[in-house]
Amino acid sequence: MIIPLMKGLALTFKRFINPFTCVTESYPDIRPRLAKRFRGLPELQVEDDGREKCVACGLCAKVCPSQCISIEGAEDEHFRRYPKMYELDSFRCIFCGFCEEACPERAILLGDSFELATDKNSGILDKEKLLESARRKKS
Amino acid sequence: MKMIHLTIDDKSIIAPEGTNIFQAALDNNIYIPGLCYHPKLSQFGGCRLCYVEVTERKHTRHRFACAHPVSEGMVVKVNTTEVNRHRKTVMEYLLAHHELACPTCNKSGECGLQNIAHELNMSPGRFKTVRMSAPVIRDNPVLELNRNRCILCGRCVSACKEIEGVGAIDFQNRGFKTVIGTAFDRPLDCSFCGGCLAVCPTGAWQDRTLGFSGRPWEFESIPTICPYCSVGCTIVLNTKEGSVRRVVSNDKLGINEGNLCVKGRFGHEFIHSPERIKTPLIKKDGEFQPARWEDAIEMVSDKLKQIMEKHGGNVIGGIGSEKCTNEENYLFQKFCRTVLGTNCIDNISNMKAPFLNGLLYKSVERGFFTDSLKGIENANTLFFFGVDITEAIPVVGCMARKAIQLNSANVVIANPRNIIFKNTAKNDVRLTYSLGSQHILLNAIIKVIIEDKLVDLKKIESSTSNFSSLCSSVQNVSLSNAEQLSGVSLEMIRSAAKLLTKPGNCCIVYGKDVIEDPLGEDTIKTLLDLCALIDVSNHSDIHPGRASIFCSRYHNNSQGVNDMGVVPEFLPGYVDINDAANKEKIEKLWGIKFSGNIVSKNSFNLIDLAKNGNVKSLYVMGADPLTEYPNGNEIRECIKNIEFIVVQDSFMTETAKLADVVFPSSTFAEKEGTYTNTGFTTQRLNRAISPVGNAKTDWEIICDIAKKMGQSFSYREIKEITEEIKKAAPVYSGFSYDRLRRKEFHWPSLLLDKIGSNKYTFFAIRDKSLKVKGEKEFPLVLITGASMNHQGAYSAKSKALVSVAPECFVEINDKDAKDMQIKNGDMVMVESRQGKLKMRSKVTRKSPSGIVFVPDAYVNIPINMLIYQEYTPVKIYTVLDN
Repeated sequence: MIIPLMKGLALTFKRFINPFTCVTESYPDIRPRLAKRFRGLPELQVEDDGREKCVACGLCAKVCPSQCISIEGAEDEHFRRYPKMYELDSFRCIFCGFCEEACPERAILLGDSFELATDKNSGILDKEKLLESARRKKS
Repeated sequence: MKMIHLTIDDKSIIAPEGTNIFQAALDNNIYIPGLCYHPKLSQFGGCRLCYVEVTERKHTRHRFACAHPVSEGMVVKVNTTEVNRHRKTVMEYLLAHHELACPTCNKSGECGLQNIAHELNMSPGRFKTVRMSAPVIRDNPVLELNRNRCILCGRCVSACKEIEGVGAIDFQNRGFKTVIGTAFDRPLDCSFCGGCLAVCPTGAWQDRTLGFSGRPWEFESIPTICPYCSVGCTIVLNTKEGSVRRVVSNDKLGINEGNLCVKGRFGHEFIHSPERIKTPLIKKDGEFQPARWEDAIEMVSDKLKQIMEKHGGNVIGGIGSEKCTNEENYLFQKFCRTVLGTNCIDNISNMKAPFLNGLLYKSVERGFFTDSLKGIENANTLFFFGVDITEAIPVVGCMARKAIQLNSANVVIANPRNIIFKNTAKNDVRLTYSLGSQHILLNAIIKVIIEDKLVDLKKIESSTSNFSSLCSSVQNVSLSNAEQLSGVSLEMIRSAAKLLTKPGNCCIVYGKDVIEDPLGEDTIKTLLDLCALIDVSNHSDIHPGRASIFCSRYHNNSQGVNDMGVVPEFLPGYVDINDAANKEKIEKLWGIKFSGNIVSKNSFNLIDLAKNGNVKSLYVMGADPLTEYPNGNEIRECIKNIEFIVVQDSFMTETAKLADVVFPSSTFAEKEGTYTNTGFTTQRLNRAISPVGNAKTDWEIICDIAKKMGQSFSYREIKEITEEIKKAAPVYSGFSYDRLRRKEFHWPSLLLDKIGSNKYTFFAIRDKSLKVKGEKEFPLVLITGASMNHQGAYSAKSKALVSVAPECFVEINDKDAKDMQIKNGDMVMVESRQGKLKMRSKVTRKSPSGIVFVPDAYVNIPINMLIYQEYTPVKIYTVLDN
């Protein structure tokens, strides 16, 4: 009985004197480092010319188990298909990542934002909101 | 027909001789992959996918299912290793040449190629892919052709040729360079029926009205009835989030077998047009102000009550709708006759031709009809008299072409114009008669039939009455005189008579040019005589077959509105209103007592009464008399005299502009009910979306007003009204709203027992003819007719149809145009004594010399403003473009 206790105390003492193995996150003062495959809020991606990559094929909306995506496609002046409306209800999203998996254009990726608490009544994000982070990264 | 027994995939099936394996499997729910075969079209054998293993006469070989007929004792295996290997290879070739743009392709989700690729579990092929990069062809407003997605199955080519008879597209080039295209790569110039779109198994043909606004799996499909012409095609509305996104067809539904015209397939945008009336409007100081429903209904009921107290009910007129459902029209006439106490009700079709209802009923009583319009497909002789099939009822044209293909039917077309009816008939006789000579032409045909003994005269004499007077009346017809007056050579008359009396079924379709002629009544009576003469069902056992006659009505429910008794002389179901016993029966059913006004006293119609100032108030439900009534000026004058006008409509029509109160009513997509088409078939509508804006269905509006006026119109759903129609209208006694879901209702079939009990009596009308000529100042004669691309306010508010046919036109004979120095496409002024209208000229040989033709279907060019008699003389001169 005494040996395990000693073992435990030894570990505690080791951690105590070595600050580099610290596991306590000092969030929100310091943003935690996220895993590579962390699944945060979905983000729409942009092309090099700043247009959205999304072609409004509707597969993400179809595959979404919580039905949080709704898309309205349209034709632009070059007869290309683009989403006139792309809405994602962040309250309903369960971050499963199916949309990312289904997307044939890699236009939607699960990002790293997880600070979604809000005092608003609705968490519906429109196309511009969803494109914001990708556009910021581009510029 | 001999039946063949065979086995497909261990399932024993029976198929008629001559069927191919593919069709036999299809009929028995056995799936064989294939992209080029289509049951409606001729066999092509181009896709090479329907490869199957066939064992017949002890030999096992591989065959293509669509190109191999069934034979007795045949054993077919659809899924063997060998067969699947072949199929996969074919798919590899097809996909190597196909643009893999599924994410952006509208067809994705209902694509034949995609489905088969998925089924066969295709992986990236062994072949180096050669993607085509042909530009997408968008040379017209409704269809786009992406040749990169085409697999050259040839379905669109056959559909265009065989069903629509146009042949606008075909294969171009050879080998690898083969593509689908128009002659000399000119812009697509066709009827835009969208048949190519409907049969295309890939995304090569696309509907441009959809414009990427939805995916097939997102749509809800609701079958309903087309709101345009009187054929009553079944269309399938694809809706998403409460709005109609596109119209597709279903080969298995309705009478049209998936064939549609440009209006049916692309004319749906009016449903969500921003010009829809969305709230009730009340006119204050000449301006319409939006109002609440309660206020508008209260105002109408108060005003109507005031007028009734002051003048009595019979000063209120009602115009029923050829566009509304049977139920709404039934309620409308009930409302007018009970709540308002007036019998001054009518509809536009009856105003134009008051004699038609009686004659149609007579033809039905005599059994001159088929089970539905589809009966045209069984015809051996088709006689189109005074109707432009291609423009007025295009889908009947498709049925006629089917008859020509299947039964090698003969075609006789009599029309004052050289109308276009593209077909492949062996005998296609065109009788282009001069205006006003239609009756004498018919009499000449009858004379030839009787004199040359083309039918068994003795049998006819014994089975009909008054035949001797028919003989004596045609005795007086001089064939040379007829030849001279009608401008049709005797030879042509003789060959027409011969074709009409050929053994087999004969289908006669007559239309606007006959009905709206001053001699219309006599001509239709003579047509019935002709029908009785060639109807060999009673006369001959050697040549079985019968004659049937159809009237091409104008609107989708022109038949139904008359059936429902929105006419002064009949209660619902053609029951004479002056008969006390009939009235008592209806009084009992409705639980009211008719006032003394409910009789049909004289031949005055509503417009005549209004002209004399005997109509103080007018209630119009879903009609636009100002643009539809032949004499536009006359009706405008009449309406000015009327104190209080109520209009129920979806759009601000010319009539609605003059109204005091306008109620927004919902369109066909937003309501339930039934329509009766020109072949007397009643079909059910299904509600696809909820009413746009604050609109209500017409029957709800009527019920609300009736309730406000103190009568109990306590209907909660359409079914209750249908049940009442069943009791009130004898011809609808076998009607069941629930059964309509599965099978359409055809009221003449109920009369079958009565047929044959009494003899047909020939009308035997002596030949009459009119001299139709222009005047010195107005040398040309104006005739009007239907247009394929437009029909009233609905089509005018559909963007696609407007871009297909943007402008109204006047057809001028090329010789006349040369004399007047008018070139094709010039802006011209058409002027009559009554007014003038500016439109584009179309120099053509369709209209004979001395006659100009203007379609009456464009609401922005109300051609009825020029018309003051049946054949109005006009003059035409060029004007500047602006």
